[in-house]
Amino acid sequence: MKGYRKYFLNKLGWFAITFVFAFLLNFILPRLMPGDPVAAIVSRLAQGMSNTSGVQAIYQQYSDLFGTNKSLLEQFFIYIQNVAHGDFGFSFSQYPRTVADVIKASIWWTIALQFPAIIVGWLIGNTLGALAAYLKGGFDKVLMPVSIFVSNFPAFGMAVFFMVIFGVNLKWFPTSGGYGFDLIPSFSWNFIWSVIVHYQLPFWSIVVIAIGGQAIGMRSMSIYELNADYVKYSRFMGIKDRKIVGYVFRNAMLPQVTGLALSIGTMVGGALVAEIVFSYPGLGTTLLRAILGQDYPLISASTLIVTVMVLVANFIIEILYGFIDPRIKAVQSD
Amino acid sequence: MAKVMLEVRELTTKYITRFREDVYAVDHVSLKVEEGKSLGIAGESGCGKSTLALSLMGYYFPPLHYTSGEIIIDGHTISGMNADDVRRSILGKEIAYIPQAAMNALNPTQKIIHFIEDVIQAHNPKTTKKEIYELARERFELLGLPASVLQRYPVELSGGMKQRTVIAVSVILGPKVLIADEPSSALDVTSQKMVIKMLRDLMEKGIIKSMIFITHELPLLYNVTDDIMVMYAGQIVEKAGAHKAVFDPLHPYSKGLMGSIIVPEQGLRNVKLTAIPGVPPNLKKPPSGCRFAERCQYAKPECKAISIGMRDVGEGRTYRCIFTEQELREVYKNA
Ligand SMILES: Nc1ncnc2c1ncn2[C@@H]1O[C@H](COP(=O)(O)OP(=O)(O)OP(=O)(O)O)[C@@H](O)[C@H]1O
Ligand SMILES: [Mg+2]
Repeated sequence: MKGYRKYFLNKLGWFAITFVFAFLLNFILPRLMPGDPVAAIVSRLAQGMSNTSGVQAIYQQYSDLFGTNKSLLEQFFIYIQNVAHGDFGFSFSQYPRTVADVIKASIWWTIALQFPAIIVGWLIGNTLGALAAYLKGGFDKVLMPVSIFVSNFPAFGMAVFFMVIFGVNLKWFPTSGGYGFDLIPSFSWNFIWSVIVHYQLPFWSIVVIAIGGQAIGMRSMSIYELNADYVKYSRFMGIKDRKIVGYVFRNAMLPQVTGLALSIGTMVGGALVAEIVFSYPGLGTTLLRAILGQDYPLISASTLIVTVMVLVANFIIEILYGFIDPRIKAVQSD
Repeated sequence: MAKVMLEVRELTTKYITRFREDVYAVDHVSLKVEEGKSLGIAGESGCGKSTLALSLMGYYFPPLHYTSGEIIIDGHTISGMNADDVRRSILGKEIAYIPQAAMNALNPTQKIIHFIEDVIQAHNPKTTKKEIYELARERFELLGLPASVLQRYPVELSGGMKQRTVIAVSVILGPKVLIADEPSSALDVTSQKMVIKMLRDLMEKGIIKSMIFITHELPLLYNVTDDIMVMYAGQIVEKAGAHKAVFDPLHPYSKGLMGSIIVPEQGLRNVKLTAIPGVPPNLKKPPSGCRFAERCQYAKPECKAISIGMRDVGEGRTYRCIFTEQELREVYKNA
């Protein structure tokens, strides 16, 4: 267990270092974009105003408010202080809403869309991959080419494909938004049904791609494990095939768990495309708008969330892995 | 005469490859092992030793397929039995197997004791974990393995320890026949000795009743087993007592094989080591005549034309050659 603690602390150290760098980049990169976002807001507010000094005053006021007239270094320290208190400032593009507000309104849509999609895709994909390895024959011959095709399909292509077939041609499902634009969020049956219907296309366009990738990985892992020496030996010791298949899939599954953690971590970045294509009101769409509006605080906060999710998912997996897989534990404790 | 533990009659099996080609790696093999005895099987790489070991288990899965012949363990014919019955009542219980490269034979993510639980419960589902633990601990200690090994994962054991663990697990149900495929190859000398001692202990302590020991290291066989069988291209070419097989081989292939090794004991220091020229036949299309004829310096034209049977010269000695014992001794003397 002593070795394991060292392993844990070591991972924690790396986690901290990565976080600091990611935090820095999240702050700096958006601010290196050319253009002046404050000018954009001011010109929006000052439409029709002819008084130059008035515009100047408004500009001054907003620069003070957002802190853009200070040096980048100063801004950075103020930013750290505020973030430490959970204050991400105002959104430039959706002023006077705060960044926290905007994110709170969108992140649940993203989580509710992507989390189930990733889990469902992972479960179906792994089951199919394992079955293909075990059953071989026709099932394998059909599943594999399809999986390879599907998993290499670009995400926007899949989203557009679903939109055109099931939305535009068949008209089974609506093609944009998180719920009917004529509805106001409430706990009415009408609204919930609208959410469910709007959910289908973005959901399945993500699931299908995930299934393909997972099935391919799981199939090769399972084939490898099925040919391992312990399978033959266990058979000759009289153990039932069903039990042996259990060993094989457990072992084949271990690397796949990493894949699951990573896709959960990267869910915002990875499936952002589906949200954008279907104008789904999640973090992906928000991030896109933030970038278009040069909304530094919102970009930084969104990417910070993504970063933290990836890091935490990775960290948890590495820690858990030591427990699930004795091979890793053995290596780490050396 | 002692009880016969394992009798095999004309066993023939083949591999069917992915390209639908047949590989005849075990061809009409017959053998007998009596209670308390061990039989060694020698032969060069690829002659079908491992395939024979697998075929003897009576439990076949692709790419290996049963063709014909009988396997009789302690009077019970297991060939032709329903596969699931073989699995439940024969494997591990009547006949057990130690695979070549036994070090990799354990599931890396399972503790040893949990695998033992699975093995025992596959045969006696009612046994409790506590009983199994007691049995395993006792058996491991009897064989000189620390009981702590039971709580380990395979990666936490050294190579030699893994090998001995596999052996101890293989015999946990006290099988009548143990088939050990190169149990000591790929180990350092110390571990090798410990493995051999363990196999001897198994016999002496009555945990197993008979053993088949496969190796390409002839000197080892000579020291460990009672009888030796020499295999060539899927067939048995000679069977004799260990001493005779090594120091007085009859078949030209055995003769060549023994000439290519050093047996330290008999002071053969100044004997020249010879290699057999040529390569073994392709087992996808084995020759119809003598399979060794192509490489045999004494071969006659008939050798390649007619199929050669086994000759019995008494005292449990048999060999597969067109020549009589006399003729062979004559040519060897003149060589
Ligand atoms: N899975 C398989 N499919 C097809 N052919 C096989 C398979 N395994 C082995 N063979 C062939 O069967 C023959 C016998 O192989 P086997 O492994 O029994 O030899 P061996 O005597 O044990 O050799 P070694 O001393 O190297 O272990 C070889 O010609 C080999 O190419
Ligand atoms: Mg072999």
